[in-house]
Amino acid sequence: MDVQEVDRLTEAALAEIGAAQDLSVAEALRVKYIGRNGLLPELMKQMKDAMDKRAMGQALNRFKVSVTDALVEKKAQLEAAAKTIQADAFDWSLPGRWAPRGRLHPVTQLIERVCALFRRMGFVVADGPDVETEYYNFDALNTPADHVSRDMQDTFYLPGGLLLRTQTSAVQARYMQAHPPPVRIVCPGRCYRRDTTDATHSANFHQIEGLYVDERVSLADLKSDLDHFAGELMGSGVKTRFRTHFFPFTEPSVEVDFSCHMCGGRGCRVCKHSGWIEIMGAGMVDPNVFKAVGYDPEKVTGYAFGMGIERLAMILFGIDDIRRLYENDARYLAQF
Amino acid sequence: MKIPLSWLKDYVDFDDTVEGLADKLTFSGVEVEGIEQIGGAPAGVVVAEVREVEKHPNADKLNLCRVDFGGGEELTVVCGAPNVEAGGKYPFAPLGTELPGGFKIEKRKVRGVVSEGMLCAPDELGLSGDHSGLLVLDAKWAPGTPLRAILGEPETVLEVEITPNRPDELSLLGIAREVAALYDVPLKMPDISLVESGPPASGATSVVVEDAVDCPRYSARILRNVQVGESPDWMKRRLKAAGIRAINNVVDITNYVMLECGQPLHAFDQKLLDEGRIVVRHPAAGETIVTLDGVERKLEPQMLVICDASKPMAIAGVMGGEFSGIHEGTTDVLLESATFRPAAIRATSRQLGLLSESAYRYMRGVDAQWADLGSRRAARLMCELAGATLYEGAVDVWPTPQAPWTVLCRPSRLEAVLGLSTTPEDIARVFGLLGLRVLSSSAERMEVEIPTFRGDLTREADLIEEYVRIYGLKRLPAVRPLAMVVEGADDKPYQGQTWMRGLLSGLGLQEVMNYSFLAEGLLDLFDKENAPDRVKLTNPLTADHTVLRDALLPQVVENIGTNVSKQVEETAFFEMGRVFRMGADGVPAEEDHLAIGLMGPVGRSGLDKFRPVEALDMFLWMKGLWMQLAAALHVRGASLRPADRPWGEAGRGVEIVLENRLVGWFGLLDPSIAREWRIHQPVGVLEVASAALLKDVDSRRPLAPPPAFPCTRRDVALIVGADVRHEQVVKIARQAAPPELERIELFDIYQGKKVGEGRKSMAYAFTYRSSKGTLTDDEANGFQTEINNALKTRLPADIREG
Repeated sequence: MDVQEVDRLTEAALAEIGAAQDLSVAEALRVKYIGRNGLLPELMKQMKDAMDKRAMGQALNRFKVSVTDALVEKKAQLEAAAKTIQADAFDWSLPGRWAPRGRLHPVTQLIERVCALFRRMGFVVADGPDVETEYYNFDALNTPADHVSRDMQDTFYLPGGLLLRTQTSAVQARYMQAHPPPVRIVCPGRCYRRDTTDATHSANFHQIEGLYVDERVSLADLKSDLDHFAGELMGSGVKTRFRTHFFPFTEPSVEVDFSCHMCGGRGCRVCKHSGWIEIMGAGMVDPNVFKAVGYDPEKVTGYAFGMGIERLAMILFGIDDIRRLYENDARYLAQF
Repeated sequence: MKIPLSWLKDYVDFDDTVEGLADKLTFSGVEVEGIEQIGGAPAGVVVAEVREVEKHPNADKLNLCRVDFGGGEELTVVCGAPNVEAGGKYPFAPLGTELPGGFKIEKRKVRGVVSEGMLCAPDELGLSGDHSGLLVLDAKWAPGTPLRAILGEPETVLEVEITPNRPDELSLLGIAREVAALYDVPLKMPDISLVESGPPASGATSVVVEDAVDCPRYSARILRNVQVGESPDWMKRRLKAAGIRAINNVVDITNYVMLECGQPLHAFDQKLLDEGRIVVRHPAAGETIVTLDGVERKLEPQMLVICDASKPMAIAGVMGGEFSGIHEGTTDVLLESATFRPAAIRATSRQLGLLSESAYRYMRGVDAQWADLGSRRAARLMCELAGATLYEGAVDVWPTPQAPWTVLCRPSRLEAVLGLSTTPEDIARVFGLLGLRVLSSSAERMEVEIPTFRGDLTREADLIEEYVRIYGLKRLPAVRPLAMVVEGADDKPYQGQTWMRGLLSGLGLQEVMNYSFLAEGLLDLFDKENAPDRVKLTNPLTADHTVLRDALLPQVVENIGTNVSKQVEETAFFEMGRVFRMGADGVPAEEDHLAIGLMGPVGRSGLDKFRPVEALDMFLWMKGLWMQLAAALHVRGASLRPADRPWGEAGRGVEIVLENRLVGWFGLLDPSIAREWRIHQPVGVLEVASAALLKDVDSRRPLAPPPAFPCTRRDVALIVGADVRHEQVVKIARQAAPPELERIELFDIYQGKKVGEGRKSMAYAFTYRSSKGTLTDDEANGFQTEINNALKTRLPADIREG
């Protein structure tokens, strides 16, 4: 036995390890070469007969180190390969098993979004009853019994002369009576009108009312606050425009259009090619409303606005028929 | 209201496109809802004379016509119209003409013969829907005459919406006045000069007004020698463009002037009036009238009627009577021009269900000043177009004419409300455009005289609006939006509701939303006992919306049912909404509720979903939801106790009690109700007052630090009678346990041969922990022995420790 012989054996062992195809073969080779009764202890025994013990020791060490490393590497290789085979049995394409996620109704989602935007500007959310008196729904809003505009809305009445509120504006007077100025509120809620239900009308619907009363609140403030709101809700770049209109409880009164969020105002199907979409009614609180709630119209001014949520939801989500919002088809609602 | 543009231009001359005008009007408050082109003939169409007609060689129903259209040569045209005749004159579209709908006339072969143009039927010219034959033209027209010279130019009509505060705009003149202000151009009034060649009117009739409040002004003019006939074409065209049918010249004139001036008029055949005179009064008991539409109408005492000496001849401001109107033989006309109290007309119109053009204007308000304008204008036109002789003057009952009033406007206030800066001069300029006279003006205050037709302008705020809408809303200055906190204002209830909705959707529930009113039958199906306290609509619109809901569950279950009918077999719905119940004081009380409805394997996932859902599964899912919700909302002092409800399956539900107050119930839906929607599996339902759930949401709670020492667990299997409830085990164990017992968890239930008939095994894990140190095995064993002994004797139970 000489050094060359050992080096030849090393080469042969490495070749054999390199050719191993599975873990049991690799283990057998480990036993064969470096196991307790394997080749390495056998060669070590012959050390004492070697002529150049130092050279022989180095050759045996080369044998031990290179064979051990090769075995470790081989085993790791084969284990990784085995793992890959196991992973194929792991079917990642099976249906997921977490419980279905619940969603909020699109009307709720929109109410919460609008409220969040106004709360950021310092508005608080106020509430009022669905069942209203003629006083809060009409009289306090500068709409006396023989006023023409009572014809504009058809109202559901209840026993005792009560009614279902036709507009969230009814909350205005209630809130102002209970709170001295300044007032900065938004009021989401249900409203009811005696409309025949069709694709764009629903006898039961939602509005959000906004009211800001303080010293020196102006129409320009209304414009800029609504511009800000429009941009936040519909996307930056969406602006508002005012058109003169009439509401009994505001003077001046305006209708507010948003520039079309779909086409950027160039005109498309959504905005009926006008570039603008009618979104809400607004104006400066009529002095008679202030008088009705005991505010001094000489001391305070204020703006108010009101928008229909279903209409907004239809525009924003592209809903084709308002009735879908009340059909409660789980498959439809799950998309919001 | 329809505004024919050429008519509008009679009164105001402005330099702008139709679109520009529509835009200006819309921004100043007259919303233009549509612009349409009507009538007239398409450009290029001319009169043609058909010289010869012969059968088409290859088609039975077609003819070949030789046509002279003034172009020098005759053309051959294929025509399928049944009424084409040699020598007839018809509209002809030469090659290259574009007809309405974008149809362009080109040379083309029809069954082998080249046709060089088209003879037209009315529908092809956009004149009507008539396609029965060619439009036959009068023989007097020379070939080549443009059809427009005969039929006129097409009319552009603006459809505008007038807001209820602006009755003065319900006429061409009213709109013209607005246009004049917007473009700063003069308003041209119609000609109302009269030739009163007859004797004084006062000698020919009299007017008595019995109620001057309901009828502030009544004026009558007398005309003789009236020749009733057709109105001239121009008037018929204008009426048609404005949406009014032409009848005869006298009636047409009253309508024309109403549209023009805003003053409704009525023409009586004076010979049909008993004693030829007018009495304006309320009906006597039992009086009726047959109105123009042929309907006999019962008159109520508060209505106002126009009578002759004996009987009602018209319902004031609403509709004329059948027997006093203008007819072919009418020669003597009494022309009414009057003013009525808006609310009175509105009440009558509503009561009779009659909304005429007159009533519409009177309801909104007709200025008494206009009575004279309308009367004069109509009288002039009757002389001009019906050959009438006008008597001198009018019999005009107008006891208390209204004078113009003044309104104060402070420039500083105007600037503050609008948020812009301006000058008294500019304010005065704008008011001037609107015909508002500034009587005095200083930097502090301006005194403005309001004409009587602007009844909507009574306060400074009204003038501020007038200023800004003419000044231009587009010109409002941009200011920076400011956030502002109002001290002390809070919206905790909203926050609570929002938080709760978030939790519910996080728990996997889909929100639904239903109407607040519904058909009572659905509520009855769930709980008939509540019927007396329900709040009913006084004036429901449809039979399925008659009563306010007193519970949310019926609709939520209905939602599950409609989804089942669409093969959606798994639903987890919640709704948060208001319920209504009549209070003892007769005032409806409102309460916010939460309802949950579950159906299908909602508590399972994956392949497990396909096992049938047992009643207990469903109940425990609902219970689990409730526990999760109550824990997340930190509801304190909640307990459950078995109780039945009319809509619940007997013995399968519990009431929710909060601090001794009953706030809700959950359990399984009565299967007989479920069957209404063909649901044949367990449905879990819950309804609870949401305020009760939110009572502790904002309260402060003591926090415990995370435990410092490890816990020790002991597992025990109890062999007990099959009727033993978990609740009993927990109660006995708790009573016997030391403070170190942290929790008891049930981890298995087994029934079968191994434990014997009528018995079951319940496996529990007991977890112990001390806050003072790590428990030793001996200590834990000691605790468990105590508990085991109690369970052995008190349940009783056999125990196997694991």
